[in-house]
Amino acid sequence: MSSFIIKRSRSRSLLLWQTHGIRIRSILFSSYNSLSNPSDSTDSVSASGFSSFSTRSFKTTAFGFKFSHLNQKFGDLAYSGGSNLVSTTRSLSSEAVAVAATCDGLTVERIIANQWPILDENESDWKSHAAAISQSIQVIKRRLQWKKLLVRLKVLSAELNKPDLWNDPTHAGKISREHGSLAGKMKGVMTFERELLEHIDMLKLAKEENDSELESETLKALMEMRRVSKEKELEALLSAENDSCSCYIEVQAGAGGTESNDWASMVMEMYKTWAQRRKFSVTVVDEMPGEMAGIKRATIKVNGEYAYGYAKAEVGVHRLVRISPFDSGKRRHTSFAAVAVIPILGDGSTRVQINDSDLRIERFRSGGAGGQHANTTDSAVRIIHVPTGITATCQNERSQHMNKASAMAVLQSRLDQLEMARQTAMNAQHTQSLTEISWGNQIRTYVLHPYRMVKDLRTNYEVSDPDSVLEGDLDGFILSFLSSSLDKGDEER
Amino acid sequence: MIRIFPSLRFTSLLSAAKPLCSVACSSSPVREPPQRASFAEAKSAPASNSLSITPKSPLFLRTPSHATPLSEVWKWHDWAKDLASSVEVSSSNSEYSLDSAILLRELKWLIEDSIVDDQLVIHKREIANDSESVKLRASLEELYDLWRQRIEKRRPFQYVVGCEHWRDLVLCVEEGVLIPRPETELIVDMVEELVTRDDWFKNGVWADLGTGSGAIAIGVAKVLGGRGRVIATDLSPVAIAVAGNNVQRYSLQGMIEVREGSWFEPLKDVEGKLVGLVSNPPYIPSDDIPGLQAEVGRHEPKLALDGGIDGTDSLIQLCHGASRMLKRGGFFAFETNGEKQSKMIVDYMTSDHQNSFSDLKIVSDFAGIGRFVTGFRL
Ligand SMILES: C[S@@+](CC[C@H](N)C(=O)[O-])C[C@H]1O[C@@H](n2cnc3c(N)ncnc32)[C@H](O)[C@@H]1O
Repeated sequence: MSSFIIKRSRSRSLLLWQTHGIRIRSILFSSYNSLSNPSDSTDSVSASGFSSFSTRSFKTTAFGFKFSHLNQKFGDLAYSGGSNLVSTTRSLSSEAVAVAATCDGLTVERIIANQWPILDENESDWKSHAAAISQSIQVIKRRLQWKKLLVRLKVLSAELNKPDLWNDPTHAGKISREHGSLAGKMKGVMTFERELLEHIDMLKLAKEENDSELESETLKALMEMRRVSKEKELEALLSAENDSCSCYIEVQAGAGGTESNDWASMVMEMYKTWAQRRKFSVTVVDEMPGEMAGIKRATIKVNGEYAYGYAKAEVGVHRLVRISPFDSGKRRHTSFAAVAVIPILGDGSTRVQINDSDLRIERFRSGGAGGQHANTTDSAVRIIHVPTGITATCQNERSQHMNKASAMAVLQSRLDQLEMARQTAMNAQHTQSLTEISWGNQIRTYVLHPYRMVKDLRTNYEVSDPDSVLEGDLDGFILSFLSSSLDKGDEER
Repeated sequence: MIRIFPSLRFTSLLSAAKPLCSVACSSSPVREPPQRASFAEAKSAPASNSLSITPKSPLFLRTPSHATPLSEVWKWHDWAKDLASSVEVSSSNSEYSLDSAILLRELKWLIEDSIVDDQLVIHKREIANDSESVKLRASLEELYDLWRQRIEKRRPFQYVVGCEHWRDLVLCVEEGVLIPRPETELIVDMVEELVTRDDWFKNGVWADLGTGSGAIAIGVAKVLGGRGRVIATDLSPVAIAVAGNNVQRYSLQGMIEVREGSWFEPLKDVEGKLVGLVSNPPYIPSDDIPGLQAEVGRHEPKLALDGGIDGTDSLIQLCHGASRMLKRGGFFAFETNGEKQSKMIVDYMTSDHQNSFSDLKIVSDFAGIGRFVTGFRL
């Protein structure tokens, strides 16, 4: 019966393919029917949700990576609007139950279990492509912490369905935003998964019908999916709540005077060049120079999408071993620098409310009579949030007013971070402020002497050319840390 | 901050003669109600010799017409850096000596103001090709000279570049006009707080006496949000010219009127009509003038600094005027030399002008010094 439907729909839609490209949709629809139990009560809802899915998934293929990227980014917009919300939820949860499969019952899990050999991308072997893509899907789900997402989505949906939700509009807004972005994220993956299975169906069909043109086209589509899946794997590394934010990076020198001050400034330079290479914009907000050389501490603002997502991998203590240029005895020295990273939350997120009366604002280097007596271009201020004791300084701007505004922004982000650390069980390490980072928490060692090497102590990722790393070539370290922290544990958490 | 005037950078020839409104003015009242335009026309022509004074063009507004090889610029930069770093060694560690860290920051700003592609000079040295050239707003010789003046002559940085960043403004300054101080920003903050609390203050006439570069007047006009007006006065013709120029650059001619004359003398027409009166008059005791920091004592105008024997000559005059000029309920804020002067002024106002003022207060600056006296006309 089902195969009859498919054939019929296929022969009809083959014509459509040339002009409208709706064929996939009709095939999909039938394949879905063939799979699900007609008595299943969720069927109608799923099926309708499904047909809209497949249209989307077709677009995904057609426009390739760009679209799916957009799709993911604007998941919020695309999926959260108005009454769609509820139906999205339902179709999502039912999807989650009904595992996507091909007509003959092949699923991503089974493909992986089959252990088809993965050949070079250019080999036209659909099984190899399918296996590679399936593995990627598994990696992506793990990185997104799929099971946690499912649970969270359920909680959020339950919240959204409460009749009194909008009595507290701020809370409601937050919930619906989070729901929208979660749903968007998950849909992106499920769509991708379905797309794979659709292509497999199509391919088998083409073989059956000896339609070589269709076969090669489908194979091409699979190849493209394989490429996209690698990109999606990377994207999934940066899918945590504030990953897309800009951020502040702070570096503080450890004990040891000039040698560690110099090391701290080398670390800061490393981040500045890294950020510039990534096309982020960098501004120095605050800098306390060392007496002889280097810096005691400094804060830079790194502006750009995903700056926080990447930079958070750098939080911790960085250790340097070298012959100190400041030691006339040419002895080997070990110095430390601590790094903290603070996300700058977007306007959409709820930020800590700061009362003016809780603030004390001080001129940074006060002294002397001031006013008309003094002419200095130094107009740095320090703002102290009295209840928490948290402070922020800015001295890079050319007017006191602007220094104050910029210090306020730092203070706001620090307080936001403190609040986040309190509220969520977010990977606590990233939210540590400089004062909390223990000097024992070493994450990386840079050895310039007696041998040359940079080694990450968390991942064992290692590079034998310290210069390139100090010149900002950090992505290897960052990506390996991000993947190792998300990929550990073989379950889709 | 300079980024606020991107188009001005390229119209500097024009702006030297007649600084026009640019993108920056979008927040200011470009579309003036007619009555205000006439207010400006009728009275803004300064009475005397200030007409003949043409304000200098600050570096950042000049035409970037000096193409210079990057390698030459780097050579200058290295030289300037060395000069800045060497000061700590040579000079004593007194409160008023030069500080390398601050000089290095000034050097960065000098580059920002004078080189179109300043990033290329400061950050991208490794990747830039040294046969490239950059466009400078001053010749390299001039830049050598300017930096030498800064360090050897202790010429204030703000005179070197011809501007001072103050609040969110970039004000042109030059010799003959006091460089506005960070402390004084707080006067505008106080006014801002007041007018957001009480609309009455937004619609009336304000006065800024001894306006200098026009800083307070422009700051106040902006927080009034286009409704009230401000009269800015000064005795110094250079100040009148510079203030007028700054007012034009922010296209606030319709809101701010600059008048030349001594304290209240040019304000006869608004006696008893002011809703607000602000001033940062000269307040340094004459005896302190010879010992001032080099940048101040050697370069800034005495007229702007010297407040007589105990420094309160001008402040006392302002107190008298305040009771006469302000409407009932009107607000005043004066900057003073600090705690001692502030107390004197408050005492003076409570004893000699009892029943004239209420809510007299001493407000501290960010260094914790009792810097301002504020109050309301009863
Ligand atoms: C300390 S400066 C303040 C300038 C400006 N308001 C500021 O805060 O940057 C004092 C100003 O008062 C002006 N001044 C001095 N004597 C004056 C007088 N008799 N009448 C009007 N202005 C006077 C000076 O020319 C100078 O511009």
